[in-house]
Amino acid sequence: MRAMVIDDSRAMRMILKRIVTKLNFEAVEAGDGREALDLLADMTEVPDLALIDWNMPNMNGLEFVTNVRADPRLREMTLVMVTTESEQSQIVRALAAGAHEYVIKPFTEGAMIEKLALLGLVPTGANS
Amino acid sequence: MSVEVEVNENDLAEMVEQVWMSYLDPEGISPLIPTYDENQPSEVHSSVSITGSWTGHVVYASSTAAARRAAAAFLAMEVDEVSQEDLSDVLGELANIIGGNVKAMLPPGALLSLPQVMLAPENTTVYPNAERISGVYGLWEGEPVSVSMWQSRSEKKEEA
Amino acid sequence: MTLSQAEFAFVSQLVRREASIVLAPGKEYLVEARLIPVARAVGAPSVTEFLADLQRRPNPQNQRKIIDALTTNETSWFRDREPFAALTDVVLPELVKSRAATRKVRLWSAASSSGQEAYSLAITLQENLPPGWSYEIMGTDISTEMVKRAETAEYSQVEVNRGLPASQLVQYFERVGAHWRITQSLRRNVSFRLMNLTAPLPAMQPFDVIFLRNVLIYFDVATKRTVLQNVAKLLRPDGWLFLGAAETTIGIDDNYERVAAGRTSAYRVRTGAPAGAARRG
Repeated sequence: MRAMVIDDSRAMRMILKRIVTKLNFEAVEAGDGREALDLLADMTEVPDLALIDWNMPNMNGLEFVTNVRADPRLREMTLVMVTTESEQSQIVRALAAGAHEYVIKPFTEGAMIEKLALLGLVPTGANS
Repeated sequence: MSVEVEVNENDLAEMVEQVWMSYLDPEGISPLIPTYDENQPSEVHSSVSITGSWTGHVVYASSTAAARRAAAAFLAMEVDEVSQEDLSDVLGELANIIGGNVKAMLPPGALLSLPQVMLAPENTTVYPNAERISGVYGLWEGEPVSVSMWQSRSEKKEEA
Repeated sequence: MTLSQAEFAFVSQLVRREASIVLAPGKEYLVEARLIPVARAVGAPSVTEFLADLQRRPNPQNQRKIIDALTTNETSWFRDREPFAALTDVVLPELVKSRAATRKVRLWSAASSSGQEAYSLAITLQENLPPGWSYEIMGTDISTEMVKRAETAEYSQVEVNRGLPASQLVQYFERVGAHWRITQSLRRNVSFRLMNLTAPLPAMQPFDVIFLRNVLIYFDVATKRTVLQNVAKLLRPDGWLFLGAAETTIGIDDNYERVAAGRTSAYRVRTGAPAGAARRG
């Protein structure tokens, strides 16, 4: 399984990569939505999961989600927002745009794994 | 324009604790121990600025040793493996996360800047046009760490 | 200043006794960090003096402050998921048939702690009961502090990250400052009260479903038996009892039989065995 980690913070990308690697995902990373879309365009195998920050330069997470959901080729990707944006209206917007789940920063590793388990992305027995 | 804001020290302390629980002390064995010492020294700091419905800054400040420890914990490395880039990244992200949580408690229409990181010690007050309205001060494994909120004194927005 | 072993032991015993919180060794610094603001808030010069004073003169209010400060909420919503799936897939469809006359279901979250289980049950019922049906959920706990907290129904950001689908977060919660509070429309179906499961329980209308999860593990066999007997009296004859993932009535109380419930097990009163006040379904 493959996961794409999209955040303009290198430190946060490292945390997220660590978690998904623990769950047996192969991780790829991008620093913003534009870079992520460019990477996806070149991939033959679409990632199963994308963890997406909201506030990023060039293309923010919401725009990325909207773009992905408009592309039939990327239909199978599970999209999870991972962000400090936590107003009710924003969560609603993200879900309406097509994000499947939403994790508010800061998150514990256990909480992230639980969210991914809700989406059926955690092999049984891998819960920490 | 800066509105009277209800983000008290308990709220700030809770946010800081959640960052510790999530990234810096997931085992719950090395917390930030409160000292309430506003004058404790610091050597490095990072901050985000907030504009819009509220103007001010959210600032992380600590000794270099504490900052390196934070970077090591965040990135799951040893302290001596932490590079300047790692340090800068982590301090910036800490300011971003805490600032983002503070923003969530402000009236709608607040905007967060990109984080700024200062890795060199500074003796002067960091925000001369702002006043400290709230702060969490403590020791993390014996090293000073603080998170504070500064409200801009100016009545008008900086940019018309 | 670090907590002495004696101080840590005192606090550990207090929270274990009053709120079933188990403080592992290694948590001394965390306990200290959490108690410093408590001592300061009550005007004590230090944590040492605060605790010494408490040992000399019991003070329920200060006790509760300690418990409150030490409750790390690592409780998930829909904990273990499978019992809630079982409720949706197996139990509710059956109840919808058997309770058709009253169109009402009653659930009990025994040892409700800070309320995540009770409110998770409420969300499950809200989403799966047919229109025109009503429900009542009672949460009970031995700790006054927990009952108050559950009634407040307010949870922090890290707490709502735990096992709660975002779509349900926005539907059933409202932001209150840095916290999230369960909406009134859900809260009005859930109530909390103090109760000690090891003592004779007050008489009340029996329940259709009881969640008694991760409570029995704290007791010895004789007490487990007492609790199960007490609980049986408040379970409808065709009611369902859910225990924690590692718990069972087998070897403890023969009056229950284990049945499959979706991908997990539940316990029902063995036919012929004494149970809650005999009522028609």
